[in-house]
Amino acid sequence: MRPSDALFRVTVTLFAAVIPLSLLVLLLFLLHDAWPAIRFNGVDFLFKNAWNLGNQYGNPVTVHGQQVMPGASFAILFLIVGTLASSLIALLLAVPLGVGAAIFLAEAVPAGLRSYLALLVELLASVPSVVFGLWGYVVLIPLLAHHVYPHLARWLSGVPFLGPPPGSGYGLLTAGIVLALMCVPLIAANLREAIEATPQALREAGLAVGATRFEIVRKIILPRLRLPLIGVSTLALGRALGETMAVLMISGNALNILPGNIYSPISTMASFMVSQLDSALQDPTNMAVYGIAEIGLALLLLSLLVNAVARVLMPRGLSA
Amino acid sequence: MTHRSQPTRLRAPRFALLAAAAGLLAAGSAAAATLTLNETGSSLLYPLFNLWVPAYTKAHPGVQINTASTGSGTGIAQSIEGLVQFGASDAYLSDAQMKKNPEMLNIPVAISSQMINYNLPGLNNVHLKLNGTTVAGMYDGRIRYWDNAALKQLNPGVNLPHHLIVTVHRTDGSGDTFMFSQFLSFTDKTWAQKVGYGTSVNWPAVPGAIGANGNPGMVSALRNAPYSIAYVGVSFKNQTEKDGLGEAMLQNRAGRFVMINEKTVPAAAAAMVPKTPRDERISMIYAPGAESYPIINYEYVMVKRDQPDAQQAAAIKQFLTWAVSPQGGNALGFLKQVNFLPLPASARALTLAQIGQIR
Repeated sequence: MRPSDALFRVTVTLFAAVIPLSLLVLLLFLLHDAWPAIRFNGVDFLFKNAWNLGNQYGNPVTVHGQQVMPGASFAILFLIVGTLASSLIALLLAVPLGVGAAIFLAEAVPAGLRSYLALLVELLASVPSVVFGLWGYVVLIPLLAHHVYPHLARWLSGVPFLGPPPGSGYGLLTAGIVLALMCVPLIAANLREAIEATPQALREAGLAVGATRFEIVRKIILPRLRLPLIGVSTLALGRALGETMAVLMISGNALNILPGNIYSPISTMASFMVSQLDSALQDPTNMAVYGIAEIGLALLLLSLLVNAVARVLMPRGLSA
Repeated sequence: MTHRSQPTRLRAPRFALLAAAAGLLAAGSAAAATLTLNETGSSLLYPLFNLWVPAYTKAHPGVQINTASTGSGTGIAQSIEGLVQFGASDAYLSDAQMKKNPEMLNIPVAISSQMINYNLPGLNNVHLKLNGTTVAGMYDGRIRYWDNAALKQLNPGVNLPHHLIVTVHRTDGSGDTFMFSQFLSFTDKTWAQKVGYGTSVNWPAVPGAIGANGNPGMVSALRNAPYSIAYVGVSFKNQTEKDGLGEAMLQNRAGRFVMINEKTVPAAAAAMVPKTPRDERISMIYAPGAESYPIINYEYVMVKRDQPDAQQAAAIKQFLTWAVSPQGGNALGFLKQVNFLPLPASARALTLAQIGQIR
């Protein structure tokens, strides 16, 4: 091997190693910062609803060898449920919409208009999430609270999780809707490209055997979308799980309570970390900050888990 | 000759450029000569700071003051970390926090109070009578509906609706939460034992309860969600009135139902100000006296005793001294707009003594 080749190999390896290494460093850093909280909380952290900074105007006490404020406890089941439930609702709403939009853009729009509409969808994908949040806060919540949820809850009364009380507009479904709107352009833009990548020969073959336009979409194009759909849904789920500002503004920021129905206020892990950091910084024992780091660690692991599950779900033959 | 004249011709613009650059540098150093002070924290104190700063900086062009409304929690945290010079807070630091940060001064600059507001369609022009026990019951789930027997008993003749109560609390660390939860702790034993008080508390898990960010968030949550109840700092009274929200009469220690006005807040202050210790960390919640309004407090500015340089220390002292002076920031022209009270003379003397410690 020539010296220049060796140098090239070393540099490229170094650059390539930066990505997995930074993940590892992030994990180690979170683990280090969360360690006192992990020892104090134990497994209850994941299975109970008890985020409580304790009596801030009392004097610190020692529990399990850790200094904490009296009465403090840190457990986040309600955050895990809120995060997963809002992301799941978002995906349930966004996938059909996104697939529909992609097919419409790729197949039903006249060629001249297509690039402009596609550009619009892609622009929508780059709107900052806080703008979606603001719109949800100012426009969507009053609309849903006064004119939609009361009727929806009445029609669906008797259906578990969908019936009354209709709540205040701040909550799980509102968060799901706004998250879905943020995910639709992501899904639509990616799937449109996948549809346009369908070989022309396949379409022509379909036409040759007398298939209608709809049959070509259903029998030739849709089956080929399965793999890209799983990929892009995972991406969208990642965005929904980690979304912070928009959810903070519209979720109702519930504390220590599981949602009773889809109109109930919730909190998510990411938005809770933001909203509670300042309060946590006032804890003279620092245990609240360690607790926030533990939420961060849990969120990171949850995202990794979701990605891993998506990998497993992906059909073997297709992943090549 | 032509060859030699060229550089001479070039020299003129070059010199102009150099002069321009020098001018810019001079302007830059002139800008650096203005001292920048930063304030963040309490959304209750924020409207007052926004009245103060333009008036003060007009008279003192050498100082620039930036303000931000982020919640008392942020004000406390960032002033302790030294990120801002003024941390605005409606709550004083706890003993444990003072032990950890002994260099912090809790400097009162005015007296404030807190309303309990609601959005009850058709009843917002009625001042409902509430006491600490019923409000605590609403916030911890013992009272779920507006037509609960306890509420009916306090408000005979008012046609209260059979509708779920939507309680709104602050999500951010907040001095308003401190005042409110302390009022509930002092009036309701169950609340005192189970929840207690602080800038953020362990809100009981009540279905439908929502969290809002800052006083502006509280007001818009009230506006958005009918049948809701929330606690709002008095500097937002103009806002709650504009939005047509209801304001409750609260039962004081003497058993009378009172609202915020020119009599009830000074009455409560008169009962509590003489008890103020030298470090001025004192709760004025649930003051004795027939006329006293039960939720009043000192508005604090958190300042580090030791500043990085003498110039900054002097600027901070000058501003705070102006802020608490009856001819300066404590003039009624400022305070009336946000419904605050000026510091009484005895409290002002303690505050000036604390300001004198900044160096």
